[in-house]
Amino acid sequence: MAGTQDRRHVFILLAPAMLVVGLTTLYPLGFSFWTSFHDWRLIKSLMPGAYIGWENYVAAFTDDPVFWTVLRVTLRFVLVDVVATILAALGLALLLMRAGFTRSLLRTLIILPFAVSPALIGISWRFMFNPEYGAIHHTISTFLPFMAKTDWFASPVLATYALVSADLWHWAPYFAFMLMGGLASVPAETQEAARIDGASDIRIFFSITLPQMAPVLTVAVILKTVFALKVFDSIVTMTGGGPGLETSTLAFFAYNTGFRDYDMGYAAAIAYVLTIILFALSFVYMRFIMPARR
Amino acid sequence: MRRRPTRYYVVKALEWGTLAFVGGFTMFPIVWMVMTAFKPVELIYHLNVLFWPTLDNFREVFSVRWAVGAKVLHSLVIALGTVVIAIPIAVCAAYAFSRKQFRLKRAMFQWILLTQFIPGVAIVLPFYLMFRNLGLLDTYTALIIVDLAIVLPYAIWTIKGFIDAIPEETEEAATIDGAGLAGLLWHIIVPMARPGILTAAIFCFILTWNEFLFALILTRTRVVPLSVGIMSFRLERGDLWELIAATGILIAIPMFFLAMMIQRHFIKGMTAGAIR
Repeated sequence: MAGTQDRRHVFILLAPAMLVVGLTTLYPLGFSFWTSFHDWRLIKSLMPGAYIGWENYVAAFTDDPVFWTVLRVTLRFVLVDVVATILAALGLALLLMRAGFTRSLLRTLIILPFAVSPALIGISWRFMFNPEYGAIHHTISTFLPFMAKTDWFASPVLATYALVSADLWHWAPYFAFMLMGGLASVPAETQEAARIDGASDIRIFFSITLPQMAPVLTVAVILKTVFALKVFDSIVTMTGGGPGLETSTLAFFAYNTGFRDYDMGYAAAIAYVLTIILFALSFVYMRFIMPARR
Repeated sequence: MRRRPTRYYVVKALEWGTLAFVGGFTMFPIVWMVMTAFKPVELIYHLNVLFWPTLDNFREVFSVRWAVGAKVLHSLVIALGTVVIAIPIAVCAAYAFSRKQFRLKRAMFQWILLTQFIPGVAIVLPFYLMFRNLGLLDTYTALIIVDLAIVLPYAIWTIKGFIDAIPEETEEAATIDGAGLAGLLWHIIVPMARPGILTAAIFCFILTWNEFLFALILTRTRVVPLSVGIMSFRLERGDLWELIAATGILIAIPMFFLAMMIQRHFIKGMTAGAIR
């Protein structure tokens, strides 16, 4: 009917959004890509230097031990973070699924951590994990006396745990709600039937509930991996990437290369390595949430 | 009466123990920050829970020396500015995605979702170089433009969900009555999708208010928001925890109220990008 008019409407409606999205994502991605093929050190010159092909990428993988350390650190942080957060979220979801006053109160309370800025969480954790006057540190060493003298931020593993606990505090509620959605869609009849047949709760959980939640869990794991790779704020405010480089993940390293060493070309290349990993994950994710039209 | 087996009580005790732990783990950091903010300075490094609360720390952060008041204002301008620009744009785009058929619709929509996956560093690096050349570093304009990148996809997605739920007959009736596109949007869609628009606006406000990376790189002194400003209490000679806690309260408490306002929708909004 009103084909041309409709097309004009679509254009008017979409133009501003597409302009903003294009300007704020396509343009920087393109520019970063271009920068990653140039030698551009702001200390030497304010203008971009020569085109150097893949050299920034090659240098990262073959010539920079720091980059490999950062990859290892990133892998460790992401693994611990994803496993811990998803397990906590699953526990929360199972615990808070049922009705009841306490549970509904807790469902409300756990929204609060999600509203706190990760930068602020990082700085508070630094305070609370302080070995002299940190409240969390004291609580932990009451139960585990051998921890009393431990400096959390001097140990690579403990610093990673501290960082993960902060990230978990922020994100576990989000994923708990997502998994509750998944749990709600598991048909109760199958569980009932199994119970009548004499299956234990644990057995029902592992043989019926968990397999039926597999799609939601997969989406949650992919998303959490993405968010873990993007963690930045709490690293800056809690550990500063230390001790040494032991909590310097790719995102943090790219930032440091660009804004502390002012090596824009190299920083762009690192950022792009991260971008490519994230995009690869996002394609898997899209497969799951937007199956091709039937 | 039949006695319940011991196992029942063990399970119950475990269950309540876990619930208490979840509540404690969730609230402890918040409660501790609130207490620290109201503690007298001399008690900051003690673990007392009993003390006379004082407003000294708040007085100190608002003093000329730390000028946290100005940073509250910066945060407000940045977050409000971003939301005011993002929401109308998002409503229009969400309406098109919800109701219209056009070429590349799927690709465009997927790209909008994909933008959540771009690492902030890859976005801010080119903008830093661009704004430096344009002399826009440390201005509201710079920060609002970049913050739109994080906020707009969420807003479009959330509002689209709410427009999808409006029955199309309502619009058909209005169209027959001669309403144009603008009239349709303003008189039918906006009122009916109001909860969604409000949810999106509040959610985006929280995201921008808490944003750290872009502000860290693009601001220096003039428009530093609270989220980055709090770092100024970390000095060479040590961190001023009482002032950090007081400023932390200013950052977190308003967001608690906002999150509670949209509680039910907030959860949906949180999971919107994740579930169909």
